[in-house]
Amino acid sequence: MIRLIRSELLKLRTTSSPWVLLIVTLLLTALGVITAFLIPNGNRVTFGAPTTIYRYRLLLGAGDTAVWMSAILGMLCVTGEYRHKVITTTLLVEPKRAYVLVAKSVASVLWGLILCASTFVMVAALGLPLLSAEGGSASILLHQAGAVVPGLFAAFAIIALFGVGFGTLVRNQVVGIVAVLGGSFILEPILDGLIPSVAKWLPSAAAGAVAGGLGTRADRAFLLSWWLGALVLAAWGIVPTVIGYFTTFTRDVT
Amino acid sequence: MSAPSAPDAVIEVKGLTKHFGNVEAVRGLDFVVPRGRVTGFLGPNGAGKTTTLRMLLGLVAPNAGTATVLGRRYQDLDEPVRRVGAVLEATSFHPTRRARDHLRMLAVAAGIDERRVGEVLALVGLGDAAKRRVGGFSQGMRQRLELAGALLGQPDVLILDEPSNGLDPQGIAWLRQLLRYLASQGTTVLVSSHLLAEMAQTVDDVIIIAEGRLRAEGTIAELAGQGRSAMRARTPEPDRLVQVAQAAGFAPRRVAQDTVLVGGARPETLGPLLAQQRIVIYELTNEGTDLESIFLALTAPTPGSSPPVQATAPPFTPEEPR
Repeated sequence: MIRLIRSELLKLRTTSSPWVLLIVTLLLTALGVITAFLIPNGNRVTFGAPTTIYRYRLLLGAGDTAVWMSAILGMLCVTGEYRHKVITTTLLVEPKRAYVLVAKSVASVLWGLILCASTFVMVAALGLPLLSAEGGSASILLHQAGAVVPGLFAAFAIIALFGVGFGTLVRNQVVGIVAVLGGSFILEPILDGLIPSVAKWLPSAAAGAVAGGLGTRADRAFLLSWWLGALVLAAWGIVPTVIGYFTTFTRDVT
Repeated sequence: MSAPSAPDAVIEVKGLTKHFGNVEAVRGLDFVVPRGRVTGFLGPNGAGKTTTLRMLLGLVAPNAGTATVLGRRYQDLDEPVRRVGAVLEATSFHPTRRARDHLRMLAVAAGIDERRVGEVLALVGLGDAAKRRVGGFSQGMRQRLELAGALLGQPDVLILDEPSNGLDPQGIAWLRQLLRYLASQGTTVLVSSHLLAEMAQTVDDVIIIAEGRLRAEGTIAELAGQGRSAMRARTPEPDRLVQVAQAAGFAPRRVAQDTVLVGGARPETLGPLLAQQRIVIYELTNEGTDLESIFLALTAPTPGSSPPVQATAPPFTPEEPR
Protein backbone atom coordinates (compact mmCIF):
# COMPACT_ATOMS: atom_id res chain seq x y z
CA MET A 1 0.00 0.00 0.00
CA ILE A 2 2.87 2.36 0.83
CA ARG A 3 4.29 1.62 -2.63
CA LEU A 4 1.01 2.44 -4.29
CA ILE A 5 0.69 5.71 -2.38
CA ARG A 6 4.25 6.65 -3.31
CA SER A 7 3.46 5.85 -6.92
CA GLU A 8 0.34 8.04 -6.84
CA LEU A 9 2.34 10.88 -5.32
CA LEU A 10 4.94 10.46 -8.05
CA LYS A 11 2.21 10.49 -10.69
CA LEU A 12 0.84 13.77 -9.35
CA ARG A 13 4.27 15.33 -9.02
CA THR A 14 5.24 14.45 -12.59
CA THR A 15 2.28 16.18 -14.21
CA SER A 16 1.65 19.89 -14.28
CA SER A 17 -1.86 20.11 -12.84
CA PRO A 18 -0.98 19.91 -9.11
CA TRP A 19 1.52 22.73 -9.57
CA VAL A 20 -1.04 24.82 -11.44
CA LEU A 21 -3.51 24.20 -8.62
CA LEU A 22 -0.87 25.22 -6.08
CA ILE A 23 -0.35 28.51 -7.89
CA VAL A 24 -4.10 29.15 -8.12
CA THR A 25 -4.40 28.38 -4.41
CA LEU A 26 -1.71 30.96 -3.61
CA LEU A 27 -3.42 33.56 -5.81
CA LEU A 28 -6.83 32.95 -4.27
CA THR A 29 -5.26 33.19 -0.82
CA ALA A 30 -3.59 36.50 -1.72
CA LEU A 31 -7.01 37.75 -2.81
CA GLY A 32 -8.47 36.50 0.47
CA VAL A 33 -5.77 38.29 2.48
CA ILE A 34 -6.52 41.59 0.78
CA THR A 35 -10.27 41.08 1.25
CA ALA A 36 -9.72 40.62 4.98
CA PHE A 37 -8.32 44.14 5.16
CA LEU A 38 -11.28 45.69 3.38
CA ILE A 39 -13.57 46.96 6.09
CA PRO A 40 -17.04 48.35 5.44
CA ASN A 41 -17.15 51.87 6.81
CA GLY A 42 -20.57 53.39 6.41
CA ASN A 43 -21.25 53.15 2.70
CA ARG A 44 -17.55 53.12 1.85
CA VAL A 45 -14.96 50.43 2.10
CA THR A 46 -11.70 51.29 3.76
CA PHE A 47 -8.41 49.46 3.82
CA GLY A 48 -7.20 48.85 7.34
CA ALA A 49 -6.32 46.41 10.06
CA PRO A 50 -9.09 43.94 10.98
CA THR A 51 -11.39 45.32 13.61
CA THR A 52 -13.20 42.20 14.76
CA ILE A 53 -12.24 38.68 15.79
CA TYR A 54 -14.14 37.46 12.77
CA ARG A 55 -11.99 39.55 10.44
CA TYR A 56 -8.85 38.23 12.11
CA ARG A 57 -10.12 34.74 11.47
CA LEU A 58 -10.92 35.75 7.91
CA LEU A 59 -7.32 36.86 7.45
CA LEU A 60 -5.98 33.64 8.92
CA GLY A 61 -8.26 31.51 6.77
CA ALA A 62 -7.74 33.65 3.67
CA GLY A 63 -7.29 30.50 1.63
CA ASP A 64 -10.70 29.06 2.38
CA THR A 65 -12.12 29.60 -1.11
CA ALA A 66 -9.12 27.70 -2.46
CA VAL A 67 -10.42 24.61 -0.71
CA TRP A 68 -11.99 23.72 -4.05
CA MET A 69 -8.58 23.48 -5.67
CA SER A 70 -8.18 20.53 -3.35
CA ALA A 71 -11.35 18.97 -4.79
CA ILE A 72 -10.12 19.50 -8.32
CA LEU A 73 -6.82 17.89 -7.43
CA GLY A 74 -8.52 14.81 -6.03
CA MET A 75 -10.73 14.67 -9.08
CA LEU A 76 -7.82 14.93 -11.52
CA CYS A 77 -6.10 12.12 -9.66
CA VAL A 78 -8.91 9.83 -10.87
CA THR A 79 -10.26 11.38 -14.07
CA GLY A 80 -6.79 12.06 -15.48
CA GLU A 81 -6.23 8.31 -15.60
CA TYR A 82 -9.41 7.75 -17.57
CA ARG A 83 -8.78 10.69 -19.85
CA HIS A 84 -5.26 9.63 -20.74
CA LYS A 85 -6.01 5.91 -20.49
CA VAL A 86 -3.36 5.37 -17.85
CA ILE A 87 -5.93 3.49 -15.74
CA THR A 88 -5.20 0.28 -17.66
CA THR A 89 -1.54 0.44 -16.71
CA THR A 90 -2.39 1.31 -13.13
CA LEU A 91 -4.72 -1.69 -12.82
CA LEU A 92 -2.15 -4.01 -14.36
CA VAL A 93 0.28 -3.06 -11.63
CA GLU A 94 -2.36 -3.34 -8.91
CA PRO A 95 -5.41 -5.31 -10.05
CA LYS A 96 -7.12 -4.91 -6.67
CA ARG A 97 -9.11 -1.79 -7.40
CA ALA A 98 -10.01 -0.97 -3.82
CA TYR A 99 -6.29 -0.62 -3.07
CA VAL A 100 -5.86 1.71 -6.03
CA LEU A 101 -8.74 3.91 -4.86
CA VAL A 102 -7.41 4.03 -1.30
CA ALA A 103 -3.94 4.97 -2.57
CA LYS A 104 -5.43 7.73 -4.71
CA SER A 105 -7.46 8.99 -1.75
CA VAL A 106 -4.43 9.10 0.54
CA ALA A 107 -2.25 10.80 -2.08
CA SER A 108 -4.95 13.40 -2.78
CA VAL A 109 -5.48 14.07 0.92
CA LEU A 110 -1.74 14.61 1.35
CA TRP A 111 -1.75 17.07 -1.54
CA GLY A 112 -4.79 18.75 -0.03
CA LEU A 113 -2.75 19.28 3.13
CA ILE A 114 0.11 20.71 1.06
CA LEU A 115 -2.28 23.15 -0.63
CA CYS A 116 -3.64 24.18 2.76
CA ALA A 117 -0.15 24.71 4.16
CA SER A 118 0.61 26.93 1.18
CA THR A 119 -2.31 29.20 2.12
CA PHE A 120 -0.76 29.81 5.53
CA VAL A 121 2.57 30.56 3.88
CA MET A 122 0.81 33.21 1.84
CA VAL A 123 -0.96 34.59 4.92
CA ALA A 124 2.40 34.90 6.67
CA ALA A 125 4.18 36.36 3.65
CA LEU A 126 1.53 38.88 2.63
CA GLY A 127 -0.85 39.15 5.59
CA LEU A 128 1.62 39.70 8.42
CA PRO A 129 3.49 42.64 6.80
CA LEU A 130 0.17 44.25 5.85
CA LEU A 131 -1.12 43.70 9.37
CA SER A 132 1.83 45.39 11.01
CA ALA A 133 1.77 48.20 8.44
CA GLU A 134 -1.89 48.86 9.21
CA GLY A 135 -1.31 48.69 12.94
CA GLY A 136 -3.10 45.42 13.57
CA SER A 137 -2.23 42.93 16.25
CA ALA A 138 -0.22 39.86 15.29
CA SER A 139 -0.88 38.33 18.70
CA ILE A 140 -4.66 38.43 18.19
CA LEU A 141 -4.07 36.75 14.85
CA LEU A 142 -1.98 33.99 16.43
CA HIS A 143 -4.54 33.62 19.16
CA GLN A 144 -7.16 32.66 16.61
CA ALA A 145 -4.94 30.01 15.00
CA GLY A 146 -6.38 27.24 17.14
CA ALA A 147 -9.89 27.97 15.91
CA VAL A 148 -9.03 28.22 12.22
CA VAL A 149 -5.89 26.25 11.32
CA PRO A 150 -6.83 22.65 12.22
CA GLY A 151 -10.28 23.09 10.73
CA LEU A 152 -8.93 24.45 7.48
CA PHE A 153 -6.45 21.58 7.19
CA ALA A 154 -9.32 19.16 7.81
CA ALA A 155 -11.44 20.92 5.18
CA PHE A 156 -8.71 20.77 2.52
CA ALA A 157 -8.09 17.10 3.28
CA ILE A 158 -11.73 16.04 3.22
CA ILE A 159 -12.63 18.11 0.18
CA ALA A 160 -9.75 16.37 -1.64
CA LEU A 161 -11.42 13.09 -0.74
CA PHE A 162 -14.70 14.50 -2.04
CA GLY A 163 -12.88 15.23 -5.30
CA VAL A 164 -11.65 11.65 -5.56
CA GLY A 165 -15.17 10.32 -5.03
CA PHE A 166 -16.73 12.81 -7.40
CA GLY A 167 -14.09 12.03 -10.03
CA THR A 168 -14.80 8.32 -9.66
CA LEU A 169 -18.48 9.00 -10.30
CA VAL A 170 -18.17 11.31 -13.30
CA ARG A 171 -14.91 9.94 -14.80
CA ASN A 172 -15.05 12.71 -17.41
CA GLN A 173 -12.49 15.36 -16.55
CA VAL A 174 -14.11 18.37 -18.22
CA VAL A 175 -17.57 17.60 -16.84
CA GLY A 176 -16.00 17.11 -13.40
CA ILE A 177 -14.15 20.43 -13.35
CA VAL A 178 -17.15 22.35 -14.64
CA ALA A 179 -19.41 20.69 -12.07
CA VAL A 180 -17.06 21.36 -9.14
CA LEU A 181 -16.41 24.99 -10.07
CA GLY A 182 -20.07 25.61 -10.95
CA GLY A 183 -21.27 24.00 -7.76
CA SER A 184 -18.85 25.75 -5.45
CA PHE A 185 -18.55 29.22 -6.97
CA ILE A 186 -22.04 29.65 -8.45
CA LEU A 187 -24.62 27.25 -7.05
CA GLU A 188 -23.53 27.36 -3.41
CA PRO A 189 -23.36 31.18 -3.16
CA ILE A 190 -26.78 31.46 -4.80
CA LEU A 191 -28.31 28.92 -2.44
CA ASP A 192 -26.49 30.63 0.40
CA GLY A 193 -28.24 33.87 -0.40
CA LEU A 194 -31.67 32.41 -1.12
CA ILE A 195 -32.10 29.42 1.18
CA PRO A 196 -29.33 29.41 3.79
CA SER A 197 -31.10 26.64 5.69
CA VAL A 198 -30.23 24.33 2.80
CA ALA A 199 -26.88 25.88 1.91
CA LYS A 200 -25.49 25.23 5.38
CA TRP A 201 -25.41 21.49 4.61
CA LEU A 202 -23.28 21.99 1.51
CA PRO A 203 -19.50 21.37 1.56
CA SER A 204 -18.32 25.00 1.51
CA ALA A 205 -20.53 25.98 4.44
CA ALA A 206 -19.59 22.82 6.32
CA ALA A 207 -15.92 23.61 5.70
CA GLY A 208 -16.49 27.15 6.97
CA ALA A 209 -18.16 25.79 10.10
CA VAL A 210 -15.18 23.55 10.83
CA ALA A 211 -12.64 26.31 10.19
CA GLY A 212 -13.74 28.72 12.91
CA GLY A 213 -16.92 30.04 11.29
CA LEU A 214 -15.25 31.29 8.16
CA GLY A 215 -16.90 32.12 4.93
CA THR A 216 -18.59 35.09 3.39
CA ARG A 217 -22.00 33.70 4.18
CA ALA A 218 -24.76 36.28 4.25
CA ASP A 219 -25.83 35.12 7.64
CA ARG A 220 -23.15 33.26 9.54
CA ALA A 221 -25.68 32.34 12.19
CA PHE A 222 -26.84 29.70 9.79
CA LEU A 223 -23.52 27.85 9.87
CA LEU A 224 -23.54 24.46 11.54
CA SER A 225 -21.75 23.97 14.81
CA TRP A 226 -18.17 22.85 14.24
CA TRP A 227 -18.72 19.20 15.17
CA LEU A 228 -21.85 18.85 13.05
CA GLY A 229 -19.99 20.61 10.26
CA ALA A 230 -17.18 18.08 10.65
CA LEU A 231 -19.63 15.18 10.35
CA VAL A 232 -21.34 16.70 7.32
CA LEU A 233 -17.98 17.41 5.69
CA ALA A 234 -16.77 13.87 6.34
CA ALA A 235 -19.94 12.53 4.74
CA TRP A 236 -19.33 14.72 1.68
CA GLY A 237 -15.86 13.20 1.44
CA ILE A 238 -16.57 9.55 2.10
CA VAL A 239 -20.00 8.89 0.59
CA PRO A 240 -19.15 9.76 -3.06
CA THR A 241 -15.95 7.72 -2.86
CA VAL A 242 -17.77 4.66 -1.57
CA ILE A 243 -20.60 5.02 -4.12
CA GLY A 244 -18.06 5.62 -6.86
CA TYR A 245 -16.11 2.52 -5.92
CA PHE A 246 -19.14 0.26 -6.05
CA THR A 247 -20.77 1.78 -9.14
CA THR A 248 -18.12 2.94 -11.60
CA PHE A 249 -14.62 2.18 -10.39
CA THR A 250 -15.13 -1.58 -10.55
CA ARG A 251 -16.55 -1.49 -14.07
CA ASP A 252 -14.85 -3.11 -17.05
CA VAL A 253 -11.91 -1.14 -18.37
CA THR A 254 -12.05 -1.50 -22.12
CA MET B 1 -12.33 -25.57 -12.91
CA SER B 2 -13.63 -28.78 -14.44
CA ALA B 3 -10.93 -30.36 -16.58
CA PRO B 4 -7.47 -30.98 -15.12
CA SER B 5 -4.89 -28.43 -16.18
CA ALA B 6 -2.46 -29.24 -18.92
CA PRO B 7 0.90 -29.84 -17.22
CA ASP B 8 2.79 -27.01 -18.86
CA ALA B 9 0.00 -24.61 -19.58
CA VAL B 10 0.95 -21.07 -18.60
CA ILE B 11 -2.28 -19.48 -19.78
CA GLU B 12 -5.55 -21.35 -19.58
CA VAL B 13 -8.87 -20.14 -20.89
CA LYS B 14 -11.98 -22.23 -20.28
CA GLY B 15 -15.49 -21.53 -21.43
CA LEU B 16 -14.72 -17.82 -21.45
CA THR B 17 -17.76 -15.75 -22.36
CA LYS B 18 -18.41 -12.02 -22.45
CA HIS B 19 -21.21 -9.96 -23.87
CA PHE B 20 -21.49 -6.20 -23.97
CA GLY B 21 -25.23 -5.54 -24.07
CA ASN B 22 -26.49 -7.56 -26.99
CA VAL B 23 -23.08 -8.00 -28.54
CA GLU B 24 -21.51 -11.36 -27.81
CA ALA B 25 -17.83 -10.52 -27.90
CA VAL B 26 -16.47 -13.86 -26.70
CA ARG B 27 -18.46 -17.09 -26.69
CA GLY B 28 -17.26 -20.14 -24.78
CA LEU B 29 -13.60 -19.77 -25.69
CA ASP B 30 -11.14 -22.52 -24.66
CA PHE B 31 -7.41 -22.60 -25.24
CA VAL B 32 -4.08 -23.09 -23.50
CA VAL B 33 -0.74 -21.43 -24.07
CA PRO B 34 2.24 -23.69 -23.33
CA ARG B 35 5.35 -22.58 -21.48
CA GLY B 36 8.29 -21.08 -23.29
CA ARG B 37 6.65 -20.70 -26.69
CA VAL B 38 5.51 -17.76 -28.76
CA THR B 39 1.82 -18.16 -29.48
CA GLY B 40 0.03 -16.01 -32.00
CA PHE B 41 -3.51 -15.03 -31.04
CA LEU B 42 -5.05 -14.31 -34.38
CA GLY B 43 -8.35 -13.17 -35.73
CA PRO B 44 -9.89 -10.40 -37.78
CA ASN B 45 -10.81 -7.09 -36.18
CA GLY B 46 -13.73 -7.55 -33.82
CA ALA B 47 -13.04 -11.25 -33.30
CA GLY B 48 -12.83 -10.80 -29.53
CA LYS B 49 -9.04 -10.83 -29.14
CA THR B 50 -8.75 -7.67 -27.10
CA THR B 51 -11.72 -8.57 -24.89
CA THR B 52 -10.19 -12.00 -24.22
CA LEU B 53 -6.81 -10.52 -23.30
CA ARG B 54 -8.46 -7.93 -21.04
CA MET B 55 -10.38 -10.68 -19.26
CA LEU B 56 -7.13 -12.58 -18.88
CA LEU B 57 -5.65 -9.50 -17.20
CA GLY B 58 -8.55 -8.82 -14.85
CA LEU B 59 -9.59 -5.59 -16.57
CA VAL B 60 -12.88 -6.96 -17.88
CA ALA B 61 -15.05 -9.32 -15.86
CA PRO B 62 -16.19 -12.39 -17.82
CA ASN B 63 -19.87 -13.37 -17.82
CA ALA B 64 -18.88 -17.02 -17.67
CA GLY B 65 -15.79 -19.20 -17.73
CA THR B 66 -12.30 -18.65 -16.39
CA ALA B 67 -9.04 -17.20 -17.63
CA THR B 68 -5.91 -17.90 -15.62
CA VAL B 69 -2.25 -17.03 -15.90
CA LEU B 70 0.27 -19.24 -14.10
CA GLY B 71 -2.65 -21.12 -12.57
CA ARG B 72 -4.40 -18.13 -11.01
CA ARG B 73 -6.63 -15.26 -11.96
CA TYR B 74 -4.49 -12.22 -12.73
CA GLN B 75 -5.97 -10.27 -9.83
CA ASP B 76 -5.01 -13.11 -7.45
CA LEU B 77 -1.35 -13.14 -8.46
CA ASP B 78 1.19 -11.84 -5.98
CA GLU B 79 3.33 -9.16 -7.59
CA PRO B 80 1.61 -9.51 -10.98
CA VAL B 81 4.07 -7.18 -12.72
CA ARG B 82 6.92 -9.54 -11.86
CA ARG B 83 5.05 -12.50 -13.30
CA VAL B 84 3.17 -11.10 -16.28
CA GLY B 85 3.99 -8.19 -18.58
CA ALA B 86 1.29 -6.79 -20.81
CA VAL B 87 1.03 -4.36 -23.69
CA LEU B 88 -2.57 -3.49 -24.45
CA GLU B 89 -4.28 -1.42 -27.08
CA ALA B 90 -6.19 1.67 -26.00
CA THR B 91 -3.62 2.31 -23.30
CA SER B 92 -1.85 5.57 -23.21
CA PHE B 93 0.32 7.97 -21.28
CA HIS B 94 -0.10 11.30 -19.63
CA PRO B 95 1.16 13.66 -22.36
CA THR B 96 3.15 15.96 -20.09
CA ARG B 97 4.85 13.15 -18.20
CA ARG B 98 8.38 12.21 -19.21
CA ALA B 99 9.01 8.67 -20.48
CA ARG B 100 11.30 7.90 -17.56
CA ASP B 101 8.74 9.14 -15.02
CA HIS B 102 6.04 6.96 -16.55
CA LEU B 103 8.20 3.90 -15.93
CA ARG B 104 9.30 5.16 -12.52
CA MET B 105 5.71 5.39 -11.34
CA LEU B 106 5.21 1.75 -12.39
CA ALA B 107 8.46 0.67 -10.77
CA VAL B 108 7.61 2.42 -7.51
CA ALA B 109 4.14 0.87 -7.40
CA ALA B 110 5.53 -2.60 -8.11
CA GLY B 111 8.49 -2.27 -5.74
CA ILE B 112 11.01 -2.63 -8.57
CA ASP B 113 14.43 -1.01 -8.30
CA GLU B 114 14.33 2.25 -10.27
CA ARG B 115 17.64 1.36 -11.93
CA ARG B 116 15.66 -1.14 -13.96
CA VAL B 117 13.91 1.83 -15.66
CA GLY B 118 17.10 2.80 -17.47
CA GLU B 119 17.72 -0.80 -18.48
CA VAL B 120 14.34 -1.34 -20.11
CA LEU B 121 14.46 2.05 -21.83
CA ALA B 122 17.78 1.05 -23.38
CA LEU B 123 16.40 -2.38 -24.25
CA VAL B 124 13.55 -0.92 -26.31
CA GLY B 125 15.77 1.71 -27.88
CA LEU B 126 14.40 4.71 -26.04
CA GLY B 127 17.50 5.47 -24.00
CA ASP B 128 17.91 8.88 -25.61
CA ALA B 129 14.25 9.79 -25.19
CA ALA B 130 14.09 9.02 -21.45
CA LYS B 131 13.65 12.64 -20.40
CA ARG B 132 11.29 13.63 -23.19
CA ARG B 133 7.58 14.17 -22.57
CA VAL B 134 5.45 11.38 -23.96
CA GLY B 135 3.11 13.86 -25.67
CA GLY B 136 5.72 14.33 -28.39
CA PHE B 137 6.25 10.63 -29.02
CA SER B 138 5.38 8.91 -32.29
CA GLN B 139 3.05 5.92 -32.27
CA GLY B 140 6.04 3.63 -32.64
CA MET B 141 7.84 5.21 -29.68
CA ARG B 142 4.71 4.89 -27.53
CA GLN B 143 4.52 1.24 -28.48
CA ARG B 144 8.15 0.79 -27.42
CA LEU B 145 7.54 2.61 -24.15
CA GLU B 146 4.53 0.38 -23.53
CA LEU B 147 6.76 -2.64 -24.13
CA ALA B 148 9.39 -1.22 -21.78
CA GLY B 149 6.70 -1.08 -19.08
CA ALA B 150 5.77 -4.70 -19.73
CA LEU B 151 9.41 -5.81 -19.40
CA LEU B 152 10.04 -3.80 -16.23
CA GLY B 153 9.36 -6.68 -13.84
CA GLN B 154 11.28 -9.27 -15.91
CA PRO B 155 8.09 -11.31 -16.24
CA ASP B 156 7.80 -15.00 -17.12
CA VAL B 157 4.83 -14.30 -19.34
CA LEU B 158 4.30 -11.56 -21.91
CA ILE B 159 0.85 -10.72 -23.24
CA LEU B 160 0.88 -8.35 -26.18
CA ASP B 161 -2.16 -6.95 -27.98
CA GLU B 162 -1.32 -5.92 -31.55
CA PRO B 163 2.16 -4.75 -30.55
CA SER B 164 3.26 -4.08 -34.12
CA ASN B 165 0.60 -1.40 -34.64
CA GLY B 166 2.37 1.82 -35.46
CA LEU B 167 5.78 0.22 -35.85
CA ASP B 168 7.65 0.74 -39.10
CA PRO B 169 9.10 -2.28 -40.94
CA GLN B 170 12.38 -1.97 -39.02
CA GLY B 171 10.40 -1.78 -35.80
CA ILE B 172 8.45 -4.90 -36.69
CA ALA B 173 11.66 -6.78 -37.49
CA TRP B 174 13.13 -5.57 -34.20
CA LEU B 175 10.03 -6.69 -32.29
CA ARG B 176 10.19 -10.11 -33.95
CA GLN B 177 13.82 -10.53 -32.86
CA LEU B 178 13.03 -9.36 -29.34
CA LEU B 179 10.16 -11.83 -28.97
CA ARG B 180 12.27 -14.69 -30.31
CA TYR B 181 15.07 -13.73 -27.93
CA LEU B 182 12.73 -13.57 -24.94
CA ALA B 183 11.24 -16.95 -25.86
CA SER B 184 14.74 -18.42 -26.06
CA GLN B 185 15.23 -17.18 -22.49
CA GLY B 186 12.15 -19.12 -21.41
CA THR B 187 9.56 -16.37 -21.56
CA THR B 188 6.09 -17.44 -22.65
CA VAL B 189 4.63 -15.00 -25.15
CA LEU B 190 1.03 -14.56 -26.26
CA VAL B 191 0.81 -12.00 -29.03
CA SER B 192 -2.33 -10.96 -30.86
CA SER B 193 -2.57 -9.76 -34.43
CA HIS B 194 -5.06 -9.50 -37.24
CA LEU B 195 -2.37 -10.37 -39.76
CA LEU B 196 -1.25 -13.97 -39.95
CA ALA B 197 1.42 -13.28 -42.57
CA GLU B 198 3.11 -10.80 -40.23
CA MET B 199 3.14 -13.31 -37.39
CA ALA B 200 4.09 -16.40 -39.36
CA GLN B 201 7.82 -15.83 -38.90
CA THR B 202 7.52 -14.92 -35.23
CA VAL B 203 5.25 -17.49 -33.64
CA ASP B 204 5.53 -21.21 -32.90
CA ASP B 205 1.84 -21.80 -32.31
CA VAL B 206 -1.33 -20.14 -33.39
CA ILE B 207 -4.75 -19.74 -31.85
CA ILE B 208 -7.23 -18.45 -34.40
CA ILE B 209 -10.54 -16.97 -33.33
CA ALA B 210 -13.38 -15.31 -35.14
CA GLU B 211 -16.75 -14.09 -33.94
CA GLY B 212 -15.67 -14.79 -30.36
CA ARG B 213 -15.12 -18.48 -31.01
CA LEU B 214 -12.09 -20.69 -31.43
CA ARG B 215 -11.58 -21.57 -35.08
CA ALA B 216 -8.21 -23.32 -35.05
CA GLU B 217 -5.38 -24.15 -32.68
CA GLY B 218 -2.01 -25.71 -33.45
CA THR B 219 1.53 -25.10 -34.61
CA ILE B 220 2.33 -22.94 -37.62
CA ALA B 221 3.57 -26.09 -39.39
CA GLU B 222 0.27 -27.84 -38.81
CA LEU B 223 -1.57 -24.85 -40.16
CA ALA B 224 0.68 -24.58 -43.20
CA GLY B 225 0.33 -28.34 -43.73
CA GLN B 226 -3.32 -28.03 -44.51
CA GLY B 227 -2.75 -25.20 -46.91
CA ARG B 228 -2.08 -25.58 -50.57
CA SER B 229 0.59 -24.18 -52.76
CA ALA B 230 -0.20 -21.63 -55.43
CA MET B 231 1.43 -20.17 -58.55
CA ARG B 232 0.82 -16.75 -60.05
CA ALA B 233 0.96 -16.51 -63.83
CA ARG B 234 0.85 -13.42 -66.07
CA THR B 235 -0.21 -14.32 -69.56
CA PRO B 236 -1.79 -12.79 -72.69
CA GLU B 237 -4.20 -15.74 -72.85
CA PRO B 238 -5.67 -15.99 -69.34
CA ASP B 239 -8.89 -17.66 -70.47
CA ARG B 240 -7.05 -20.56 -72.05
CA LEU B 241 -4.79 -20.89 -69.03
CA VAL B 242 -7.79 -21.13 -66.72
CA GLN B 243 -9.33 -23.76 -68.98
CA VAL B 244 -6.16 -25.83 -69.16
CA ALA B 245 -5.42 -25.58 -65.46
CA GLN B 246 -8.95 -26.55 -64.58
CA ALA B 247 -8.76 -29.56 -66.87
CA ALA B 248 -5.54 -30.59 -65.11
CA GLY B 249 -7.29 -30.46 -61.75
CA PHE B 250 -5.88 -27.20 -60.39
CA ALA B 251 -7.97 -24.38 -58.93
CA PRO B 252 -7.27 -21.36 -61.15
CA ARG B 253 -8.68 -17.94 -60.38
CA ARG B 254 -8.43 -14.78 -62.50
CA VAL B 255 -7.03 -12.13 -60.16
CA ALA B 256 -6.36 -9.44 -62.80
CA GLN B 257 -6.86 -8.78 -66.49
CA ASP B 258 -3.74 -10.73 -67.39
CA THR B 259 -3.04 -12.64 -64.18
CA VAL B 260 -4.23 -16.01 -62.95
CA LEU B 261 -3.61 -17.48 -59.51
CA VAL B 262 -3.40 -21.24 -59.87
CA GLY B 263 -4.29 -22.93 -56.58
CA GLY B 264 -2.78 -26.33 -55.89
CA ALA B 265 -0.01 -25.81 -58.45
CA ARG B 266 3.72 -26.12 -57.87
CA PRO B 267 6.49 -25.07 -60.31
CA GLU B 268 7.20 -28.74 -61.10
CA THR B 269 3.60 -29.49 -62.01
CA LEU B 270 2.44 -26.25 -63.64
CA GLY B 271 5.59 -25.49 -65.71
CA PRO B 272 5.52 -28.66 -67.86
CA LEU B 273 1.77 -28.32 -68.35
CA LEU B 274 2.07 -24.78 -69.71
CA ALA B 275 4.96 -25.81 -72.01
CA GLN B 276 3.03 -28.77 -73.25
CA GLN B 277 -0.03 -26.61 -73.98
CA ARG B 278 2.19 -23.89 -75.53
CA ILE B 279 0.68 -21.12 -73.44
CA VAL B 280 2.63 -17.87 -73.58
CA ILE B 281 3.80 -16.77 -70.13
CA TYR B 282 5.20 -13.34 -69.29
CA GLU B 283 5.77 -14.08 -65.67
CA LEU B 284 5.43 -17.11 -63.40
CA THR B 285 5.83 -16.79 -59.61
CA ASN B 286 5.71 -19.39 -56.89
CA GLU B 287 3.41 -18.06 -54.19
CA GLY B 288 4.40 -20.86 -51.81
CA THR B 289 2.00 -21.89 -49.08
CA ASP B 290 -0.93 -19.59 -49.12
CA LEU B 291 -1.15 -18.93 -45.35
CA GLU B 292 -3.27 -15.84 -45.79
CA SER B 293 -5.98 -17.74 -47.66
CA ILE B 294 -6.03 -20.38 -44.92
CA PHE B 295 -6.47 -17.62 -42.40
CA LEU B 296 -9.23 -16.01 -44.42
CA ALA B 297 -11.03 -19.32 -44.82
CA LEU B 298 -10.73 -20.07 -41.11
CA THR B 299 -12.01 -16.70 -40.03
CA ALA B 300 -14.73 -16.30 -42.63
CA PRO B 301 -18.05 -15.26 -41.07
CA THR B 302 -20.36 -18.17 -40.51
CA PRO B 303 -24.12 -18.03 -40.64
CA GLY B 304 -25.36 -19.41 -37.30
CA SER B 305 -23.04 -21.26 -34.98
CA SER B 306 -20.32 -23.73 -35.78
CA PRO B 307 -18.08 -25.78 -33.51
CA PRO B 308 -14.43 -24.86 -33.32
CA VAL B 309 -12.08 -26.88 -35.44
CA GLN B 310 -8.59 -28.15 -34.76
CA ALA B 311 -5.82 -27.21 -37.12
CA THR B 312 -4.75 -30.84 -37.19
CA ALA B 313 -8.07 -31.76 -38.77
CA PRO B 314 -8.49 -29.66 -41.91
CA PRO B 315 -11.48 -27.42 -41.35
CA PHE B 316 -12.15 -26.78 -44.99
CA THR B 317 -11.69 -28.81 -48.14
CA PRO B 318 -9.70 -26.88 -50.67
CA GLU B 319 -10.15 -27.84 -54.27
CA GLU B 320 -7.08 -30.06 -54.22
CA PRO B 321 -5.78 -31.46 -57.49
CA ARG B 322 -6.78 -35.06 -58.04
